[in-house]
Amino acid sequence: MSYSSEGNDYFLFTRIKRGDDLVQVGSFRAGSDELAKVYAQRIYDEEDWVEMHLVKNSDLIPVRVPEGLFEKEGVK
Amino acid sequence: MNEQQINALVELAETIADNKFIMGEQLVELGVSGPNLEASLASISMAQGDLGHARLLYRWSFEVQGKRAGKVDVKEQTGKAFNQIVNASNWVELLAGLYVNNVAINLVMEELMKNKGEELNAQFAKMSNELTEHVMYAKNWCLQLLEDQGSIPRRTRVDLEKAYHHAGEWIRQVEGSQPLIEAGVVSESSKLSSAFASAMNEVLGERYVSHV
Repeated sequence: MSYSSEGNDYFLFTRIKRGDDLVQVGSFRAGSDELAKVYAQRIYDEEDWVEMHLVKNSDLIPVRVPEGLFEKEGVK
Repeated sequence: MNEQQINALVELAETIADNKFIMGEQLVELGVSGPNLEASLASISMAQGDLGHARLLYRWSFEVQGKRAGKVDVKEQTGKAFNQIVNASNWVELLAGLYVNNVAINLVMEELMKNKGEELNAQFAKMSNELTEHVMYAKNWCLQLLEDQGSIPRRTRVDLEKAYHHAGEWIRQVEGSQPLIEAGVVSESSKLSSAFASAMNEVLGERYVSHV
């Protein structure tokens, strides 16, 4: 079991009905993939989703990212 | 079923229902002040599930006794819930109790469904799925607490063992109950105790110091 004491950020994507778009409905932090699955089922239970998927933040492949608004030389 | 078998089955149903009822209450009382928002929200949602399971099981125990179940209004447990979870007063105690009790209940329910599945499947199918989820939640939190800092790992270990003591005694009783075996609820080769010990070792591993 992949487990992190600090936790990982996860993004939740769901589809309400077959044929609907898969849309991001929320994000949260969890200590493991198993716990993330439970959080997804328990916290986002407002719909009877036909499909639910989780993506770990670290698995996202950046294509374009915004530059820091207040980033200055020597300041991070 | 004879009277002895009915009594044993009612006691089994009420023990599970009482524990579910108390876990539901404790998930609201203590879960609301969980270590993060995600844990608290999930615990409130699971509390609703546990209270629903309790109601279902109390209704089933009424049916076994031949009483008219109707709408079951549960105000308090019948006194069969395990002490550890009844007395839990913080997050560590709550999660240790949730893991151990849910594992024990899950094992007994699996045994029950295996032997009496045709009669019970419809009413308990959803509960079985949710039970697996509750076990997963509690197990992951216990693993997290066992890797935490300061006194938390030791307190978690102590409470897991305390909960194991209470639930283990019950599991052994169920496994060896002649009326339940004769009624076909539990098979003679169920191996509930060893399955229970294995599940405990999955979390405690080598940290497991004092077996019951």
